[in-house]
Amino acid sequence: MIWQTLQNPELGCSSYIIGDEVTGQGLVVDPLGALGVDHYVLAAQDLGVDIRMVVETHVHADHASSARALAALLGVPHGISHAAPARFDHQDLKDQEDLTFGMLSVTVWETPGHTPDSLSFVVRDLRRSRAPWAVLTGDSLFVGDVGRPDLADADDQAIRQAAQKQHDSVHRLLTLSDGVELWPAHYGSSPCGGIFMNKSPHSTIGFERQANPFVSMDEETFVDQTLRLLKPPPEDAALLRQNNLAGIS
Amino acid sequence: MTAAELKDFSEAADHVVIDVRQGRSFTEGHMPGALSAPYRQQGWSIPVANWIKQQGRDLAIAIFADNAIVANAASEGLRAQGVTVAAIFDGGTAAWQAAGFPTVSVKAITVDELAKCLDDWTVIDVREPYELRSGVVPGAKAIPLGHLEREAPELPKDKRYAVICASGNRSQSAASYLAEEGFHVANVVGGMSLWIGGGHPVDR
Repeated sequence: MIWQTLQNPELGCSSYIIGDEVTGQGLVVDPLGALGVDHYVLAAQDLGVDIRMVVETHVHADHASSARALAALLGVPHGISHAAPARFDHQDLKDQEDLTFGMLSVTVWETPGHTPDSLSFVVRDLRRSRAPWAVLTGDSLFVGDVGRPDLADADDQAIRQAAQKQHDSVHRLLTLSDGVELWPAHYGSSPCGGIFMNKSPHSTIGFERQANPFVSMDEETFVDQTLRLLKPPPEDAALLRQNNLAGIS
Repeated sequence: MTAAELKDFSEAADHVVIDVRQGRSFTEGHMPGALSAPYRQQGWSIPVANWIKQQGRDLAIAIFADNAIVANAASEGLRAQGVTVAAIFDGGTAAWQAAGFPTVSVKAITVDELAKCLDDWTVIDVREPYELRSGVVPGAKAIPLGHLEREAPELPKDKRYAVICASGNRSQSAASYLAEEGFHVANVVGGMSLWIGGGHPVDR
């Protein structure tokens, strides 16, 4: 498997280029406006990856996305959740859908909570095993933390419901085996998580099961704690999500 | 430049077209006579510029790419090493073929396909001699990549050749070369790593 993490340390954002090492077919996950489309095209050329699709774990509220521009430049589909109210051409992704790139298999899991359109991607390299190797959790489960529930809809009732969904999504992700690598969309001081988010960009499902404080909480405590521990929202959160929904980059 | 302009360019004396796309794309199809040098941000510009300078005459260079970002990066890289790029074509084989021009292409064959009809193919293993200890496809002819140009004229043209190496990269260049020389060739995708991984028989 070809795997490269491309990060913007300033905002604590991670994006990914993943490909099948024999056919070179692959995808880009959550490309960042801050890095620009050229960065992804040249990185993919360096890696020998033929980008067949650009996907996003959700419509972001903390940074500009370059997914639409990258997909348009390469003439490949732009996949986002069917639940995202996006106003541009895209491919709807649904739960349990398999995206195939050579012998690389990427399964879509709907993990709402941070936003109603939040997805996780379960990655398998079928050349090695049928078992999941890694999961891209977007803003659902972080290293040491979970995604905040208040950025998609600021209404109190909506935030509480989103936090309940986040609890269920986190526990769905924890049904994966201990050894599965965890690669979220954020790390460090990103405003999309709470105060416990670790500076490391990755972990494993097993380690989070043991060490993530939110994992052992019952739903009520989970909701209470995620709401209590909210950081100030990212600057221009509503505008960023609105622009990303409109496909403006 | 347009495909027609590129064709005229490539046919002039001391004019060279460098295909900077990924090796896999080059194997799948390229304009006749183009040289493959897949662009990389690191470690590409210096050796390619040195090769151009070593030709000992003023070559006119065109870049063949399938997008403007990679084409411009390659052109800038060469310029930084003192080589002027005369022309850029960034439409890829799609635009080249749309203009009605032919491509040289190498069929890709999987290890399973090869194993099923091994008798139809002469397998050429282009790995170095020390690499053959891990096993070779039964009946394969060993020609290390560096000897291919010397040994190719001895190969009968009426046979079909499946070119293999460790992982499918070197065999890509070798297969492209043989295709240019008029042989009927296929590149074995994934090479010996997939052949052995797939449990196919080997001679040791």
